[in-house]
This record gives sequence, structure tokens and C-alpha cells, in this order.
Amino acid sequence: MTIPATWEPLSAVDPVLTIAQDLFTTMIDGEPGHLNPWAGADPDLEDPRYTWVDVNGPVVTRVMLTASRVTGERLTRALLGMDTVEYVCDADFADAVGEIANVVGGNVKSLVTNPGALTLPVVTHERPDMDTATCLLETYFGWRGAPLGVGLWALT
Amino acid sequence: MKALVIDDSRVMRKIVGSILSGVGFETLEAENGQVALDTMAAHHDIVLCCIDWNMPVMTGFEFVVQVRKRAQWRDVTLMMVTTEGEQDQIVRALAAGAHEYIIKPFTPEAILDKLQFLGLVEVQETV
Amino acid sequence: MTLAADTFDFVATLVRDRSAIQLDRGKEYLVESRLAPLARSAGATDVDAFVRALRADISQHESVVEALTTNETSWFRDLHPYTVLRSTVIPALATAGRSPVRIWSAACSTGQEPYSIAMTLADNFPSLKAHIVATDIADNVLAKGRSGRFTQLEINRGLPAPMLVKHFERQGPCFEIAPHLRNRVMFRKHNLLEQPPGGGPYDIVFLRNVLIYFDVVTKRSVLARVRAALAPGGYLFLGAAETTIGVDDTWERIQVERGCVYRTREGKRI
Ligand SMILES: C[S@@+](CC[C@H](N)C(=O)[O-])C[C@H]1O[C@@H](n2cnc3c(N)ncnc32)[C@H](O)[C@@H]1O
Ligand SMILES: [Mg+2]
Repeated sequence: MTIPATWEPLSAVDPVLTIAQDLFTTMIDGEPGHLNPWAGADPDLEDPRYTWVDVNGPVVTRVMLTASRVTGERLTRALLGMDTVEYVCDADFADAVGEIANVVGGNVKSLVTNPGALTLPVVTHERPDMDTATCLLETYFGWRGAPLGVGLWALT
Repeated sequence: MKALVIDDSRVMRKIVGSILSGVGFETLEAENGQVALDTMAAHHDIVLCCIDWNMPVMTGFEFVVQVRKRAQWRDVTLMMVTTEGEQDQIVRALAAGAHEYIIKPFTPEAILDKLQFLGLVEVQETV
Repeated sequence: MTLAADTFDFVATLVRDRSAIQLDRGKEYLVESRLAPLARSAGATDVDAFVRALRADISQHESVVEALTTNETSWFRDLHPYTVLRSTVIPALATAGRSPVRIWSAACSTGQEPYSIAMTLADNFPSLKAHIVATDIADNVLAKGRSGRFTQLEINRGLPAPMLVKHFERQGPCFEIAPHLRNRVMFRKHNLLEQPPGGGPYDIVFLRNVLIYFDVVTKRSVLARVRAALAPGGYLFLGAAETTIGVDDTWERIQVERGCVYRTREGKRI
């Protein structure tokens, strides 16, 4: 399967990293420096959650974040300004990581000509079936010591 | 002054809402465009709406179109706050009647700059 | 992580000598955090070691000064100066027959200020002939200004959406200002401690949010040079926290609606 030229720039890490760093700097950390490329071998994520949005254009493209439940809870607390020990319910968890995927997905979409419409975020325990999809990018970022997976797949 | 924060994400409603209440707005929330229209009908003193684009039931874009059909809401300031950042989308939203447009992610200052320029809060000179 | 006292003193002296920016004791964290990236890319173990090496190597001095400038800026910052420009200053200069109108945006940082001026002119006085010179001490901000490309976060800071769609075009992750506006602004390197840039005398000078970094003696000398570069009857805009009052009384502060502008006392009579 060939990937349309327009999505090609996104198979490089830089634009996606910049998008994620802007989001973390402004809305999660309040300062730069805490989100960086993951150094070393691909990490194993404990109790992972998969969060994605699709861009339904001529090519259906999925922007997916992967993080352990614990990391997602820390992100939720950071976004909601909660105490570090406060309990994070499933609804808040899904809302927060879903919105992170939405912002990353929307910004990724803006880099592509004629991209199509963004779907609402979905959060699951199971990795969605993407056997027939073409991976454009799969990488990990490190946020305050914790790994965050970011990937882009062409589904059609 | 009342503001309505429209976003399907509760996290985002909370973030935008606390920026607005920090400058004296009383804030209401709606999780989609339809709920927002109902809220507008129930509160006649809303002066500002911050509007997400992608939401279930009714999008923020459709909400803007609906609001602009009613003469009684002519003076309400409509500001998109969305992850949609393509130039075409911004042009569409403005053409439909939105006054301002902020692309997520944003800092509190970005929202405050816009509110000042829209005349909704006093210009705070920066140092 | 704490900076050695002599490291701080060396950097503070270097930055003061080159730019007049005052780094008082207590700003150690600022020096540390701004120089850490430079130290890292130079391969130094920490900022102290990096600064020790600087003493023998002046080639890095300029980038140290650059790293310690604060470049915070935004579109139509504080709004009032641009309202006064539109409602009062440009009409007065036009009536006085000034053509072209010469404008100097001093300490312009990444260009939001001179481009905000350029948009104000283009939208309200399309046939006005004007030259805008934009200067700063730091090469990195000048390069960014010249490129005319701004990130989404920068665009979010104060650029009205109607102006965004009218004057900018999306290019990948950035928005790029229209060529006719970019070409209208001449970016040049200039240190406010030196003689004003050529291209004057200027009818309008924006000197905003930079005097605050200087001591009173420097403020006075900078204002004197600006006065010399100002055309008779010219206008000076300062930042909201800045004033000539008590610093240089050859200036008169004129309140215009919610904003203010400064003119020299002899200039006003012309
Ligand atoms: C806070 S920015 C102000 C930008 C813009 N004028 C505004 O008001 O938004 C201050 C700028 O002053 C510049 N600067 C500091 N010392 C300077 C000097 N001695 N000569 C020229 N520029 C200087 C810095 O590089 C920085 O870009
Ligand atoms: Mg949404």
C-alpha cells in the first residue's frame, strides 16, 4: 500500500514531538523541558491504555497514544490540578487522556493538506486491531521518567 | 458577566472555566452544541461563549451557525477554542460568525489577550 | 545546582557591559537555567565549568548575552499604542505631510511589534508610504523576525483571528506573514548602547519593554540617543511600566484616550 505524499512528513518524529512538547509545556507542566524523546530500548508499558483519534480523510489515519494507567493518572491530575495522591476515576481518566489525543491529533491533522475530519477520542484496555494498517510512525517520549507511546497508522 | 464554556472534555471545560472565572466571569458549562443552545435559552445574560469544535450531538461549528440565526443573541461574543488549526477551518468559523479563534494547546495569557482585545476585560498592561 | 558566586559575577558583568541588562544578585536561577543549554551543547559538565571556559574564549560571549535577553512579546501588545497610532499619530503625521513616514521599532524581539505596526498601517492607511526599521541586539530573534514565520502558540498570543486569516498563510506547523508585510519591515542588528541605526530621522519610535532592564543612567543615555534620532514633532511609545518622568524631563507625556505617547517639549511646538 502506498501512503499519500501528504502524510509523509509525519513519519519523522520532529513535528509530532514539537506538537506534544507544546501541549505539555503549556497545559500540563507549565514549563518546558519535561517531555523528551525516550532514550534507550522501547519500554514495556505496565497496564497500558490505548487512546486514539482517527482522521477520516481520503486516507483514514489513526493518531494513537499509549501510556500505562499510572502515567495516565498522573497526566489527569496534572491537567485537572489535582493533588498527587487524589484518586482518579475512570471517567476523568478517559476524559483527560482523550483530550490529549484530541489535541495531538488535531495538530497533526493541521500539517496535512486535505486531511478530513477528526473523530472523537476512544480509550481502551486492548490494543485496537490494526493488522492491516501501515505504520507511519511509532515512537516513545519520556515524560518525567515515564514512557508515552505515540504512533500514526494509515488504516486504509 | 456570564460566560458559557462548551467542550465535550470536562478537563478542558475546567481549564477554560478557571481562566474565565479568574477575570471575574461567572461560568456555565455545556458538553455539546445542543446543550449549549439550551443553556443559552435559559440564561439571557451570557456575553461570551468559548466553543470547542469536535463534540458529539452538535459540533461547535453548527452551534455558531445556530446562534447566528437568532437576533437576540447578536451581541454574544463567540470564541472558538479548538484543536482544529487548518486555515480553511478558521476561515469557515469566522465566516459563520465566530469573532475569535484560539488553537489548542494554549496558555491562559492567550485567552486573556483575546478577551482584552474583544473589550470583555480591561486591558492589563504587561510588564 | 547552585551557581558559584564568581560565575554569576562574571556573567552579570559581561551582560551588563555588552547590553546594559542588569542582573542583580538573586537572579542566579535565571543565569543557571538560561546558560544550561549552552553549557550542554558545549560539552561542559555544568554552567560553572562552561563559564570558566568563557573567560579564555570570547567567541561565545555574544551567545551568552543573547541567552540572557528576555524576548517575551506578543501581537498588538497592550493594544493602546496601536489604537493611538491609528487614531492620532498617523493622521497627524499625514496632515503634516510626512511621506514616507519613518518608523523605528527598537528592541523588537521576534518581530510581533513591527509586524503589528505594519498590519495597522496596511489595514487603515493602505496608501500611506512608510518605512519600518526593526532592531534588536540578539541575532536569534532577528532571524526569526525576518523569517516571518510564527508558531501556533505565538499566533495565539494576541493576533486577532480576522488578521490571521487576512495576513497569514499556514505553512506546515507555522503561520507565515504575507510577503508584502514582511518586505515592509527591515530587520537590523542594533545595540541601544550605540548610535541609532541609519534610516532616520524617525517620525515614530517604539521603544517598549526594554528600558525596564536598564539602570537609570543607561535609560537616560538611551532616551537621549532616541531623542537625537527623532524627527521634529516625532512620537515615542514606551512600555506600560516605563516612563520618561523622573528620568529625562525633556520629554512630555501626552495622554490620548486610554493610551499615552511621548514627544519632546520643543518637538511639540512644531
Ligand atoms: C521584552 S522584549 C520587548 C519586545 C517588544 N518591544 C515588546 O514590547 O513586546 C526586550 C528585547 O530587548 C532586547 N534588548 C535587550 N537589551 C538590548 C540592547 N542593549 N540593545 C538592543 N536590544 C536589546 C532583547 O534582545 C529583547 O528582544
Ligand atoms: Mg472536543
